Order: sequence, then C-alpha cells, then structure tokens
Amino acid sequence: MEKKTKAGRQTLAAGRKELKEVIETCDAIERRKFNPFFLDVKLGVETLREYFPLWAEFQDNCLDAHALNRLSEVVRLQNTQLKFQSSALYAEPEFIAKKFQRMSEKRLAEVFLQSWHPIVELEQLTNEAVSIGLDYWNLLLPIQERWKRRDYSRGKNPESADSNTLVGLGIHGEKFEATLTQLWKTLMETYNAEKAPVDYWKFVKMESHRETVERAYFVSFLVTYGFAKMQLEGERITLLPIENPTNKPAEGGVSVPIAIPSEA
Amino acid sequence: MSENETKSFYADKLKRAVHLLVFRRGKLPGAKEWELKEKVGKNYQQVMEQLNTILSELDLEIKKVSEPPSGQITESEETVQMNEPRYYVTLKGSLGVKEAKMIGWRIDNLAALTGAIAYLVAKQGKAPREDVERVVAEKYGRWKAATLVDIFLRAGYLEEDDAGVTSLGWRTKTEVNLPALMTKMTEGRA
Repeated sequence: MEKKTKAGRQTLAAGRKELKEVIETCDAIERRKFNPFFLDVKLGVETLREYFPLWAEFQDNCLDAHALNRLSEVVRLQNTQLKFQSSALYAEPEFIAKKFQRMSEKRLAEVFLQSWHPIVELEQLTNEAVSIGLDYWNLLLPIQERWKRRDYSRGKNPESADSNTLVGLGIHGEKFEATLTQLWKTLMETYNAEKAPVDYWKFVKMESHRETVERAYFVSFLVTYGFAKMQLEGERITLLPIENPTNKPAEGGVSVPIAIPSEA
Repeated sequence: MSENETKSFYADKLKRAVHLLVFRRGKLPGAKEWELKEKVGKNYQQVMEQLNTILSELDLEIKKVSEPPSGQITESEETVQMNEPRYYVTLKGSLGVKEAKMIGWRIDNLAALTGAIAYLVAKQGKAPREDVERVVAEKYGRWKAATLVDIFLRAGYLEEDDAGVTSLGWRTKTEVNLPALMTKMTEGRA
C-alpha cells in the first residue's frame, strides 16, 4: 500500500513537471523563440489526458487548464502561420537576413523608399515643447562664458572618411567593438574591486599621452551607449559601470567636453 | 438648402476634417474615427471621400488604418478584435533618395530599417529584440545595431513589449506597403 502511494506521488510530481514543461514550451513559441510547429500538439494533449485522472488538488486542475489554454494558443499560431505562408508576405527569415547582408545600402534604401508613403503632418508648439525648450536654454551657460573657454586653432579642414579608413584607424568594425567590450569589463572589475565609483582620470590615465587620449575616446562611447554612467561631482569626474546595460543613450544626456592636457 | 449653402456647408466640413487630420494634437498624428464623427458629423465618410479626391491632386491620400492590438500580422481581420480605425494623410507616391535625405533620413538608417522590417515580416511581425539586433549587427556592428533599433523604436517603426519582443510599429503599418517591400526585397538585386 505504502509502495503504491509512493509510486503515485512520483507520478504526480512527474506529471506536474511535464505540464510545466509543456507550458514553458508554449510560452516560448508565443514569444517567437520557436516555430509553432516545433511542438507536437497531439502529444501535448495526450500528456494532459494521461495525467488528468491523477489530479487531486485545485492547483493541479488549474495547471491542467492553463496547459490546455497554452496548447490552444499554439494551435492558433500554427493556423496563423499556415495562412501567412500562403500570403504574399511569406519569406524565410534566414533568406531575408542573407539578402540584407548582400544588398548595398543604396539599394536597400531604394527598396524602402519605393514602398514608403510617409504621413503628412504639421507639428505645433505645445506647452510641453515650450517647457522642454526652456529647460534646454536654462541649462546653457551665458554666451560670454561659453566663448571664454574656446581657443582658436587653425587645423585642417574636415574631410569625409569611408568605412575602410575608420576600420584602419581602429574606431569601427569588429576590433572596435571588441575593444569596447574589453574596456567595459575592465571598468566593471575596477568598480567591483573598489566598491565605489571609479575615478575618471585614474581609469583613463595610461603610460603615454596617445594611449590616454585613445582610452578616453573609448570611454566616451561606453557612456554614450549606456554601458557606463559619468558623474560630475564638482571638479571630480567618476564612472559608474552599468551591469545590465540598456543599450540606450541616457535620456536628457548632456555633452561633457573634457580636455586632456599633454602631461596627462 | 440652396446650392450655395450646401457648398459652404461642405467646404466648412472639409476644412474641419483637414485640420483634424493634419495638425497633430496627441502622441499620434491623424484622427480617430470617433473624433471625425464628432467634429465633422455623421456623414464624415462622404467628407473623407471628397477630401481624398482633392488631396489626390497633390499626390496625397487619406489612409484608414485598423490594427490588431497585439501588432501582429494577420490575414483575416475577423478573428482578431481590432482597435478603432485611425485616419491619416499620407503621401500617395514615393520619395527619391535625395528627398529622403532632405527630410532628415540617413541612407544607412533607411537601409537598416528595411532589413529590420523585412526580417520582422518574415517572422510574422514579431521577433525577440536580440534577433533583430543580430540581423542588423551583421551589417552594421553590434554597437550601432542597438542604437539603430532604438531609433526605430522611438520613431514608431518598431515596438517592443516588456518581454523584449519587438513587433512592427504603428508607423510601419501606416506608412509602409509591406507586400511591395517584401516583393522588392526578395527580388532585389545586390
């Protein structure tokens, strides 16, 4: 008798586990992680049928009903997919991804423009827009203050650079991304070791002036892309790495020009 | 009602309708059906038809957009409960590359948007954000891809829910002729 109960309990536990797995798979399908036909609905229904006589508690019945509901959602998605595949919009996602890689930017833009009919609208000045504008002007220093800080230099006129030049300079492409990721990890390690915001100058200071400028340049990307936060406390500038970066530029962000003296 | 009175009555309604459609009042441009019914009157559909005829001479048209709340692409509208339709004025024809640049679009951003929209359409209108970023990143790099997807989300061409699933935004559904885009994308030469 005892043996039977034990076996029964095991089956009940296994049943709950299986139902939870069915629900998780259905949820993943709904979130477009898998193709709707990834799940054998018939097998899922048979699983529900197999364990149905064992359910004794209210929660078990709720779980059963929830799993059935999820399975019906998968059937609906399968139906939508079949209809979609027979429509003009159907294309294999991987094929589209490859096509996107191969097509030139100009051609892709033309494809978009030929099927784009933008909305016509007139923007008006609203209270909210006026308030945003006022905040911006209030944050700006008077023009005299801003001009005082500006030194003239007769440098070379700006020129355009193509993608290959940028890759050659190490400020674009895979190498550039790898450097940024490495720098973010280093900042995170320094922060974890100090348990406090990292001093900007300590972090960017390298052996040579060139290396310092280069590191400061990469740090500016970390801040812009939301992988680190720059804090200004009087004269002191600190960096705070963001553990789960949002990949979004901070809202209401401001530009902070930092001069790097040659002795730095 | 005399002929002159009828003409002025319609002219007044046309003006009210065009003001509602063109001037942005809330978060989205255009006007909802109930607004038009309230401000223009019960015969607003007739007024819309009349306005459409006038606008077509200017290469513009009125578009009525009904969309399912989930933002997914569906072939049959009957099975899904639709949100209240919204009316917009859109360009009837299309723009050239130079014109697009003049209104503030970069060519690389437009190209990335094409890829993101086409990929989402191929995935039936929804895909995890990381998948969309991966596709864009293969051409533009990971860092730029994240920024580009943000731009598209802010502009309303894409939408993202709390679970990080991206879908086609209201602007894409209103402005982009998806079957034409997909046909050109699949046929398109490099």
